[in-house]
Amino acid sequence: MFNPRPSQVEVLNYESGWMGVSAVPGSGKTHTLSSLAARLIAEDRLAEEQEILIVTLVNSAVDNFSSRIASFLRGVNLIPGMGYRVRTLHGLAYDIIRERPDLVGLGTQFGVIEERERSRLLMSSANAWIRANIELIQSLTRAETDASTPRFKQEERWNKLVVEVGSAWIRKAKDLQLSPAQIEEALSALPERPWVVDLGCKMYADFERALRMRGELDFDDLIQLALEAIQRDPEFLARLRHRWPYILEDEAQDSSRLQEEILRLLSGPNGNWVRVGDPNQAIYETFTTANPQYLRNFLRDPHVRALTLPNSGRSARRILDLANHLIEWTLEEHPVPELREALAPPYIFPTPPGDPQPNPPDTPNNIYISRKRTSDEELTGIQNNVQKWLADHPHQTVAVLFTSNSRAFEFFQNLVQADIPCVELLQSSAATRDTAVLLHHILTFLVEPTNIKKLVSLYTAWGKFLDQQAELNQNLPVPPEIRQAAAKALAACNRPERYIQPAAFDDWLHDQEPHLPPPVLTDLALFRERLAHWAQAVSLPVDQLVLTLAQDLFSDPAELALTHKIAQALQAQGRFNPEWDLRDYAAFLQNIAMQRQKFLGLSEQDTGFDPDQYPGKVLVTTYHKAKGLEWDRVYLTGVNNYDFPSAQSFDEYQSESYFTEPRLNWVAEALQRLDAVAQNDLAALFMEEGPATQEARYSISGERLRLLYVGITRARRELLIFWNTGRRKNCLQALPLAALESYWRSQMEEDPHAPSA
Amino acid sequence: MFNLSPAQQALVDQPFSQRIWLEGPPGTGKTTAAVARLRAALENGIPGDSILVLAPLRTLAQPYTTAVRDPALPSGSPVTIVTLGGLAQRNIDLFWPYVAESAGFSHPELPPTFLTLETAQYYLAHVIQPLLEENFFDSIRLDTNRLYSQVLDNLNKAALVGFEVNTIAERLKSASLGKPAELHLYEQAQECALRFRQYCLENNLLDFSLQMEIFQKLLWPHPAVRAHLSAQYRHLFYENVEEDAPVVHDIVSSWLGEFESALLVYDRGGGYRAFLGADPLSAEQLNPACDQEIFFNDSWVVSPAVEALRATLEASVRQQDFSASPLIPEALEFNFSRFMPQSADWIAEQIRALVQEQDVPPEEIVVLAPFLSDGLRFALSQRLQAAGIPVRSHRPSRSLRAENATQCLLTLAVLAHPAWGLTPRELEVRSALQQAVEGLDLPRAHLLYSITFRKNAWNGPGFTSFEKIQPEMQERITFEVGRRFEHLRGWLMNYLGGPPVELDVFISRLFGEVLSQPGFGFHNSFDNAAVTARLIESIRKFRLAAGAALQDSGRSVGQEYVEMVAQGLIAAQYTQEWQDDSAGAVLLAPAFTFLMMNRPVRFQFWVDVGSRGWFERLYQPLTHPLVLSRRWTPGKVWTDADEEINNRQTLARLTNGLLLRCRERIALSVNAINEQGSEQRGPLLFAFQRIFRRQAEAEGGGRV
Repeated sequence: MFNPRPSQVEVLNYESGWMGVSAVPGSGKTHTLSSLAARLIAEDRLAEEQEILIVTLVNSAVDNFSSRIASFLRGVNLIPGMGYRVRTLHGLAYDIIRERPDLVGLGTQFGVIEERERSRLLMSSANAWIRANIELIQSLTRAETDASTPRFKQEERWNKLVVEVGSAWIRKAKDLQLSPAQIEEALSALPERPWVVDLGCKMYADFERALRMRGELDFDDLIQLALEAIQRDPEFLARLRHRWPYILEDEAQDSSRLQEEILRLLSGPNGNWVRVGDPNQAIYETFTTANPQYLRNFLRDPHVRALTLPNSGRSARRILDLANHLIEWTLEEHPVPELREALAPPYIFPTPPGDPQPNPPDTPNNIYISRKRTSDEELTGIQNNVQKWLADHPHQTVAVLFTSNSRAFEFFQNLVQADIPCVELLQSSAATRDTAVLLHHILTFLVEPTNIKKLVSLYTAWGKFLDQQAELNQNLPVPPEIRQAAAKALAACNRPERYIQPAAFDDWLHDQEPHLPPPVLTDLALFRERLAHWAQAVSLPVDQLVLTLAQDLFSDPAELALTHKIAQALQAQGRFNPEWDLRDYAAFLQNIAMQRQKFLGLSEQDTGFDPDQYPGKVLVTTYHKAKGLEWDRVYLTGVNNYDFPSAQSFDEYQSESYFTEPRLNWVAEALQRLDAVAQNDLAALFMEEGPATQEARYSISGERLRLLYVGITRARRELLIFWNTGRRKNCLQALPLAALESYWRSQMEEDPHAPSA
Repeated sequence: MFNLSPAQQALVDQPFSQRIWLEGPPGTGKTTAAVARLRAALENGIPGDSILVLAPLRTLAQPYTTAVRDPALPSGSPVTIVTLGGLAQRNIDLFWPYVAESAGFSHPELPPTFLTLETAQYYLAHVIQPLLEENFFDSIRLDTNRLYSQVLDNLNKAALVGFEVNTIAERLKSASLGKPAELHLYEQAQECALRFRQYCLENNLLDFSLQMEIFQKLLWPHPAVRAHLSAQYRHLFYENVEEDAPVVHDIVSSWLGEFESALLVYDRGGGYRAFLGADPLSAEQLNPACDQEIFFNDSWVVSPAVEALRATLEASVRQQDFSASPLIPEALEFNFSRFMPQSADWIAEQIRALVQEQDVPPEEIVVLAPFLSDGLRFALSQRLQAAGIPVRSHRPSRSLRAENATQCLLTLAVLAHPAWGLTPRELEVRSALQQAVEGLDLPRAHLLYSITFRKNAWNGPGFTSFEKIQPEMQERITFEVGRRFEHLRGWLMNYLGGPPVELDVFISRLFGEVLSQPGFGFHNSFDNAAVTARLIESIRKFRLAAGAALQDSGRSVGQEYVEMVAQGLIAAQYTQEWQDDSAGAVLLAPAFTFLMMNRPVRFQFWVDVGSRGWFERLYQPLTHPLVLSRRWTPGKVWTDADEEINNRQTLARLTNGLLLRCRERIALSVNAINEQGSEQRGPLLFAFQRIFRRQAEAEGGGRV
């Protein structure tokens, strides 16, 4: 049973109105929010047709919330799941549009474009723009980089830049609710326009045309159109307000302006709206239109009851102390005044005595800050260190966090080669790949059902998948020797049809009875049953085939949601490639499986990931993906002034294109001009380039401070922070890390043994 | 024969000089009595050809069609059983010279060509494609095939409701909450409709809307036509008046006085086809023109428990107050599962127990869903077949292209016509073989196709003989399969040796001579036979409508048809005329389709109860069935309240219609997570939740 602590009780006593809660990392906010929802439902506040609306950031949280509320409500409801609705913001937007598509000019069947297809559209539009602007590009390319770089590399860099600018422009324009035509109209009086503006306009127009032809929306459209629908029809809004008399929002620091506006409208000025979040953990600003400022403003609103959840039992006290010092230093000592608001109180307090979640004890040296190392030394140092540690701590969890996917993957491969047990949670998540791998194997089997090699691979993939499922559900997996024996026997079957669809009196499996142990026979019989079922489904249209396979295999809503996206992607591919057959779909799935294609759904993280399921293995992931998760021991890597800049004159920024002259953050330059268009300030379009780049340095540096804060607060017992000198060996220790190090040394000098206050 | 109730018998015995309005809810024996009266008319010597049976949909006239085929009836001239559209078409054909010129056709001297929905779509595509290049519809997200069907829908609504095509845009615009910039879409949709109309007039083409308009505006008022119709038809039977459109009611209204006798059958609570223009209120205007009204109120179908559930559910859907009823549990079963496969398991087990343990005939069981996806159909039919229970499914609005039987037939057609220059995809050939040859499983189909199929043979793609492959391989594939395959191959070779025939003829021969024979895949398959019939009909109509023009351009009808199907332009959708031949099988169907079959069953399973599909209309950005109706005040804005009222009304009508066709029990299957991995909370689920709560409270437990 949930036994709330006093700060949580205060939140749980919520009655009505607008309330904002700043929750520190590990403060149990999801639990508190679920418990609040369950209380409101159980208290009979809702009419029969009403629901509590719970909005969260990622799909994995949806199921998490649902099952928690359901467990609180056991016995209260007649049909399970009634009385509340848990959605991501995009899921909510989809529901709203799906209910009245006519309000925004859509029909019942509209599609949502898949991320990979979006990138493909942007790429082709970027190519077209580049081809039409070769001279311009030459004039913008920095001479010294031009000479030494091979041509294809130059093209690749420009392609990437143009796609980035175009993509950001489109996203921002939608956030500003401007259509390509409206932007064109605003600019019509100008005789010429800056190149970034031209690029943005052209790519936006191309992209929208392509979406229209497909009858599809992108994720930004979902938000924009949902808002438009409720703005257009006041009766519709009133009906939704009635349906959702309470709105509980989690991870509110990651809402964008329009997302906040949707919830504000749904709640209404006198409605009931509880927003829980942590502005210190806002780390999506650079990629999306999210901004923690919206939540901060909300918390300051006089109509809002602002509370904090300051207690966290997650980390040992010294680790909490270090995180708190990062806030304090930023607030009071950061050399750049513009960055002093990047982190703000509340500070993290340990849990009070007697709390069911006491903070783990400090152990000697449970914080370590590394000396200067080269890039390679950093990786080998961590590898050796973690290897030794694992041997002594087989039941604890450990993660190594990186700022980039590629470096994380490099490290992961090193671990694999060194035979160190490890798991990765990277760009296309392991779950996506496992799902796609299995589906790919089944489709390949259906294409060539008599190819014994492929049948054996399918058996192996299926077995691996089932064993993983068994482990997750704490059941016994089939012993590896059984699997191996079965695979070996299958490989020797020279007439697969005698196994898959035996004729009367001609059954290969029957013939094997004298030769194989019973568990192997049982497993092969089970596999054959599945094969027969899949073979019967072969005549379904590909999307329905994949959905049918998924229903057969998966029992996790997140996996089903993911397969549904894969199915939609396959269907869309089929529409644009009418000549495709199962063979091509199988190849497409292989690309997803091989991680060649980024495959995103409604959110970054699609399937729930539970670190505690992987004790004794090194989890390799990024700082971003680690959000919301925790481990006994955490390694933070790359904390230098390149990955964590601080708006110092000597800092360098990945977002500034070193191969252009002038060297600028072109995305920032473009977006600033788009803002000017929105404000009808056409003169600003022709202002000197640079201020936007400078402005962006502040926001990037601020976000990186919060990323460091997120990294620190992932650790339960031990925290190890590493940094390196970078590729050109000229990087420095990140400024905030230097501050933390000197603080930590002073603490150690004062009293190296006592746990800090 | 049936034993009629005294009330039914009294209706039958009314003199044939009466115009009667017969009204009652479904299941009260109206149609049975009306059919008995038709038999009585024929038995009393009224000539068949003086009787007109009118129905909004041929399916709804099925009981009449069956009755007049009874050999026990005195032989004589045939009764005319038609829809008003059918009557219009016949008479335009007959009186073409009277109207061709005044209707504005460019070539009155040439005969008319009647278009089906799909052939209309085919020609409409020719008209719209150039406009799309002029950036028509530039601010809408819609694929082109849907765009075509919405433009046609607008034209049909104009003809059925009775307004001018050039007022469509104004009607839609004035009801819309859209931004001014979006409203020009309606203008463009109207422009497309007008241009299509012009194209039809220039080429003697008549789509449904033009047929209706010509009949209503030119033929019906024409004295000669009127005299002909009045002289021919002396007695009228008009079934399901409420499912017809206002213009049809107008015509019948002005005709009614001229019949010696008439029987108008009105189903109270009907109007399920509202989205296709049905208008029960306008139907009611025919009532005063009748000499007498007769009401049937006692249901022959529903048990008291089902009736209690019906009334309660209606109140709950309409958000009215209601109280619990002790009878309800008898008529309602409920199952909650997390995922669809568990739901399917539960349903299959329930059905198995009914059929095998309680001896319920399979045709007394239906499984209904708002939509019947392939995945759901597969899941259910697999399980039922595994339990040895015959199943059939009916999805009339499903595209032909998506049917495996169509794929099989068209793939074989392509192989039989190398002159078309088309090559089928390889796996399609494998799948065609699997469909065509009974008992051919996937691995053996793969062996057979990969060994015998030659994609690039000198004389076009085709099969080599089974006899020519190695004996070992023959054995692997099995000789039985080989024999069947050889028969099919021999038939194709034989065909290739002779002159090609029209595609529809080819398909009907392929079906009749090979595929429907024992040992082949279409043998004893209800579903495949129905698909084949639809395909043949679709090709035949395409040939009649487009054949001449294609011949002029040197293209073959068959090739053009196959290519159009591949593009999705020809879908044979909306072919809503079908025969209910589900004897001996459990039926899987969309709920609406089942209603249109108008037959009661003992047990209904409602699947996917959480879906919003039970409740909402099909949203189409370029048209609006309710704004384009006589019930709509021009100029009024369509708001969410209208939407909500309409949806609740539709849902109540639907659940009433279903329950009035259920004798014993409905079983609800709710799955928390749909196949998209998300939770569903549609209004139907809410309505049941309210009932469950009331029941629980009444049982004294308060909350359970």
